[in-house]
Amino acid sequence: MSERRVTGGATQRLLSRRDRLRAWARHHRQLFGSTLSALLRDWMGLMTTWLVIGIALSLPVLMLIGLRQIGETDHRQVIEPAISVYLSSPSGSAVTQGLISSLRQMPEIRQVTLISEAEALAEFSERSGFFDVLNAFSENPLPAVLEVRSVSTEGATIRLLTQKIGALEGIDSISFDAAWRQRLSSVLLIIERITLALGVLFLCGVVLIIGNTLRLTIENRRHEIEVIKLVGGTDAFVQRPFVYRGFWLGMGGGLMAWIMIQSSLIYLSVPVETLARSYRSDFALEALGFQESLVLLALGAGLGIVGSMVSVRRHLVKIQPN
Amino acid sequence: MLTFDQVFKRYETGQEALAEVSFSLDPGEFVFLTGPSGAGKSTLMKLAIAMERSTRGQVLLDGQNLNQLPARKIPELRRKVGVVFQNHQLLFDRSVFDNVALPLEIAGHPPSEVKSRVRAALSKVGLSNKERDWPVTLSGGEQQRVGIARAVVHRPPLLLADEPTGNLDPELSREIMSLFQQFSQLGVTVMIATHDLDLVREIPAQRLHLQSGRMVQP
Ligand SMILES: Nc1ncnc2c1ncn2[C@@H]1O[C@H](COP(=O)(O)OP(=O)(O)O)[C@@H](O)[C@H]1O
Ligand SMILES: [Mg+2]
Repeated sequence: MSERRVTGGATQRLLSRRDRLRAWARHHRQLFGSTLSALLRDWMGLMTTWLVIGIALSLPVLMLIGLRQIGETDHRQVIEPAISVYLSSPSGSAVTQGLISSLRQMPEIRQVTLISEAEALAEFSERSGFFDVLNAFSENPLPAVLEVRSVSTEGATIRLLTQKIGALEGIDSISFDAAWRQRLSSVLLIIERITLALGVLFLCGVVLIIGNTLRLTIENRRHEIEVIKLVGGTDAFVQRPFVYRGFWLGMGGGLMAWIMIQSSLIYLSVPVETLARSYRSDFALEALGFQESLVLLALGAGLGIVGSMVSVRRHLVKIQPN
Repeated sequence: MLTFDQVFKRYETGQEALAEVSFSLDPGEFVFLTGPSGAGKSTLMKLAIAMERSTRGQVLLDGQNLNQLPARKIPELRRKVGVVFQNHQLLFDRSVFDNVALPLEIAGHPPSEVKSRVRAALSKVGLSNKERDWPVTLSGGEQQRVGIARAVVHRPPLLLADEPTGNLDPELSREIMSLFQQFSQLGVTVMIATHDLDLVREIPAQRLHLQSGRMVQP
């Protein structure tokens, strides 16, 4: 603690580096609570802002969750169709057995599954509800099918494989809808791009909402800011409460988004799983885990801080005592 | 302490407020800055704390040339000055104590020190019993004294007051002036802008007189 004599007799205590660091930490600690209680004083306004931010955050996050879960699921069942090999001989026959073993020896093939005539019928009636119609036949009209999955997922390779399989004995016909597969994956790509574009837009929206809310607060506190600058407050000192306000706005918005996302996921999970099961898929919507929840809150808080950085400095510099 | 050298100030509007103003205040000096309304008194004060910049000429405060001072150094400079400005008075959503404590909190003094210094400043202006009050509940004279306490609480070597008695009756004005004189006796350089010539005549002090932006003999 140094007492310096400034010209002429008046003494002004100069603060040591440590004192100033302590003061800085004290200011942060004090603002952490005081900005929240200041915001809560207008709790209606705060709730509205939190809800708006929550909605803007939860939409892109929900879409991302949907996309990610589609990506993670073993969806070959749904999206990547097998090569369907319709057999000319019954499933138990020697020809069929020979065909299966020679297919299993081909290195390009990952898996061969036999669906017998009875299984094909059961599946068809379950999927289509045409059981009664089929019952009208005295005999099962459906052939046995081999579902062949290739190691490669490339359309061209699979088409070559199809030709190779076609040359074998005991086959009635082969179907592989490469076009369908490609269409689906490009649709998925479009959805992914739309999601990302929307996500970026919504996140920008959150930054703007927070920036604008803070701009109004700054406008209301113009006099206070002028006085602080007049008695030697730095721009950083004046800016600090608004950074904390931005933090709380974003954090609360993140919490709102978390609530909306979790309840939407729970609400959606039952119908989605029912749908997935009908495709024999284990696709399931999972609620956000602990880490993901933290990431969401941090995202909200981070956007709040970015929002305040973007808008506050610009407005504060313009406010000067006069 | 404060030196003006051939200072010329023209506002962006084209309005000329000061021309060829030169003077120097020594440490501990007590001076009145007089002149009719519009003479440039407020402009001069604003130049001294870098609220405005001179168009030509030099302004030096505590040896620093304000024309060459980068914006980020301005806060540090203002902490060396206590200001009592008419239109920058109190913050009405803070108690008297918090108003006076503001300069200390900005500078980063520890809370115990803030407390003792704010109490000392309030007792100096005779408002010891009002520290928990809200500024709205105070009279005009009391509010002005809170403003003075805020201006001196961090013990600045220079005190600038722009029409500090502007809205007060003669009795209160005299009280406020004697406060300033006391600070001056403690070694603070004091400059008071006023157009209240009756009051100036009562107090033996150096006088700088402005007329249409120029310094003239009173
Ligand atoms: N911000 C400003 N912009 C333009 N002109 C100004 C501004 N402030 C003051 N002036 C002009 O400068 C002159 C001096 O004003 P001022 O310094 O306020 O005088 P005083 O304080 O002595 O009454 C006046 O003519 C006033 O109109
Ligand atoms: Mg004036």
